[in-house]
Amino acid sequence: MSATLRFERASVGYDSPVVSGVTLEVRPGELVGLIGPNGAGKTTLLRAVTGGARIFSGTVTVSERPVAAYPRRELARLVAVLPQATPSMFAFSARQFVEMGRHTHVSRFGDLSAADHAAVERALALTDTESLAGRRVDELSGGDLQRLTLAQALAQGPSVLLLDEPTSHLDLNHRLQVLDVVRSLTNEGLAVLAVFHDLDMAARYSDRLAVVVGGGLAEQGTPGEVLTRGSLRRVFGVAAVIGTDPVTGSVQVLPVVRAGDGALAANGPRVLVISGSGSGASLMRLLTLEGLRVSAGALSLEDTDGAVASALEASFPEIGPFAELSAADEATVTRLARDADAIAVVASPFGPHNLGNLRALVAADAAGKTLLVGALTPELDFSHGDAAEIWESLGRAGARLCASPRDAVRAIEEVLHR
Amino acid sequence: MGRTGIRRAVVVLLVLAGVLVLASVAGAAFGAVPITAQQVVDAIVAALRGQRLTPSQALVVQLRLPRVALAALVGACLAAAGTLYQALFRNALADPYILGVSSGAGLGAALAFVFGGTGVLALIAPPLAAFVGALLTILLVAALATRRGVMETLSLLLAGVAVSYTLAALTSFVLVVRREQMSRIVFWMMGGLQGATWDQVAVVAVMLVAGLAVPLVFARELNIMLLGDERAGELGVNVERVKRVILAAASLVVSAAVSVSGLIGFVGLMTPHAARLVLGPDHRLLLPASVLSGAIVMVLADLVARVILAPVELPVGIVTALAGGPVFVWLLVRARRGPSL
Repeated sequence: MSATLRFERASVGYDSPVVSGVTLEVRPGELVGLIGPNGAGKTTLLRAVTGGARIFSGTVTVSERPVAAYPRRELARLVAVLPQATPSMFAFSARQFVEMGRHTHVSRFGDLSAADHAAVERALALTDTESLAGRRVDELSGGDLQRLTLAQALAQGPSVLLLDEPTSHLDLNHRLQVLDVVRSLTNEGLAVLAVFHDLDMAARYSDRLAVVVGGGLAEQGTPGEVLTRGSLRRVFGVAAVIGTDPVTGSVQVLPVVRAGDGALAANGPRVLVISGSGSGASLMRLLTLEGLRVSAGALSLEDTDGAVASALEASFPEIGPFAELSAADEATVTRLARDADAIAVVASPFGPHNLGNLRALVAADAAGKTLLVGALTPELDFSHGDAAEIWESLGRAGARLCASPRDAVRAIEEVLHR
Repeated sequence: MGRTGIRRAVVVLLVLAGVLVLASVAGAAFGAVPITAQQVVDAIVAALRGQRLTPSQALVVQLRLPRVALAALVGACLAAAGTLYQALFRNALADPYILGVSSGAGLGAALAFVFGGTGVLALIAPPLAAFVGALLTILLVAALATRRGVMETLSLLLAGVAVSYTLAALTSFVLVVRREQMSRIVFWMMGGLQGATWDQVAVVAVMLVAGLAVPLVFARELNIMLLGDERAGELGVNVERVKRVILAAASLVVSAAVSVSGLIGFVGLMTPHAARLVLGPDHRLLLPASVLSGAIVMVLADLVARVILAPVELPVGIVTALAGGPVFVWLLVRARRGPSL
């Protein structure tokens, strides 16, 4: 049997509404992820389905029937919940615990039937908890209990499954295992609404994501549509690099810095970072954390440095992958160098395509406020010595040498306070 | 419950029933006039056959046996109530005495004693009035202990103590106003089984059966409700209905016990707790096992109360309090490290 869960302009909460105007549909076979900051009301939305939270206006329906109109028993046959794990203090065996999921299938004076036992066995097998069946529930770890609670929910034989942070207590292996199982059950027609804090897992397993923030549903769509730099900045207050998981092809989120607390400052001293191939990413992040405005030499967005600079909203000329700097790009870098209060040149692979970043520094005649970070070894020089020559000339003209990005940050602070 | 589980349950209950029979025979045999176990059995057989009884057989049948039977029933009632309250409040420290329910039932019964009539009314009125008092008290205590839908252990104990004191004061007030009945009622309140009659046994037995049948039918729901109200609801339990039914049943058995034997503490606390430690939390076994254990404990406690200072009799409530108080303290200390139900 399959069922559709639908929120229609629903306002839900406790003493007063926590989330309002929510319209959201979870169809059979779908996994919809709810994401959003702590306290936004994601759990409240789940609880409204099973009666744990009040519905103030609008409707919440399962199979087109308002959830409040269902008798408890009937609703529990359609909708199962995996709540956030709570420590259990009861000396039931794990099997007894999972058997409780069959409550609505057992008659008042009867005992579990063969079908009930089969459902329990299947739930234990799906969640890889057969080996725990004889253990006492109050002696299990948080992760084991979370998987057993999922088994209990699956034993209900639901058409709609609500998951509240289903993997919060799980190790990497079981995280994948649990979500793979849930995903395979959607292929059998299960409708799943899941609260996620792990955005990568949300992106990897959800058909659609809905963002709960500021007392409502901000946006919904595919993970690619919803997980953008802008939305992460708005919803979570984090500057992040949005990438692609090289294995699954799903959206991947790499947080760089929190956007609040002085980071991503609108004004303040500027530091130009010349780097490439990921060599400058950590320095750019450290500088941002110090409240400095970062700009960068010409970079490609395929380059980690380019992705991080972009996430940090640094100004820099964007070039194609392995493309050579144009004269205009070089002029832009020269201007950035003149505007900067300090310049850090990080030892990186330099070749004909990005040598322009170094030439631009020579043109700016800014060696006095320049730091050379790391050592430009011959292995890094793909420019037949041109890069090394500029590097050394900057050193002769007064640029300071720093061993590491952290040293560079310290040295830059000194340059700025001079 | 699997097949092995059922076999285990049957064995446990049969053993407990056997122990109860032995304890009852001992209870009837010991006393100011010692009687052998053989004589006790003979007296029962003679009474069942309707034969003419010898004086010592009459002593057994008309004085000792109703008392033993009443003790067993009262213990069973208190243990049943304790088991149900502990499940409902998910709290190993809940028992009718500590929650103030006994005091509420006591006030009801005392009012019935003082203002009650004669004949059948005198037999029926105290338990009924006690039932009303018990039910009102548990509703009040539960309401006082609940903040935003959460019932804390400490709040529950404090509310129980506060309500209990108030009700005890009211009971004393009633007694002082009707001074001529005072000594009789004071002795009853201290928890005694003197003057037990077969009529009382019948009334309490009926109330116990009624108060036990319903919770046994709801045993599976009681198990699930240990996971918390919200989770139980998610698993399909009609939590509010189960709560109402169980509270009514527990109040019924408490009032049965209190109306005949006054305030007897700690049996309702210790017995279910010990049974749970040994047998686990499954109420399909726990509830009947607690009931039998409570009966055994009470028969033995009454035996001790009668013989320890013979020919002077102690109120049995003193014996259970002396034995149970330290256990309560031990539980309280243990509970700080996280109690298990």
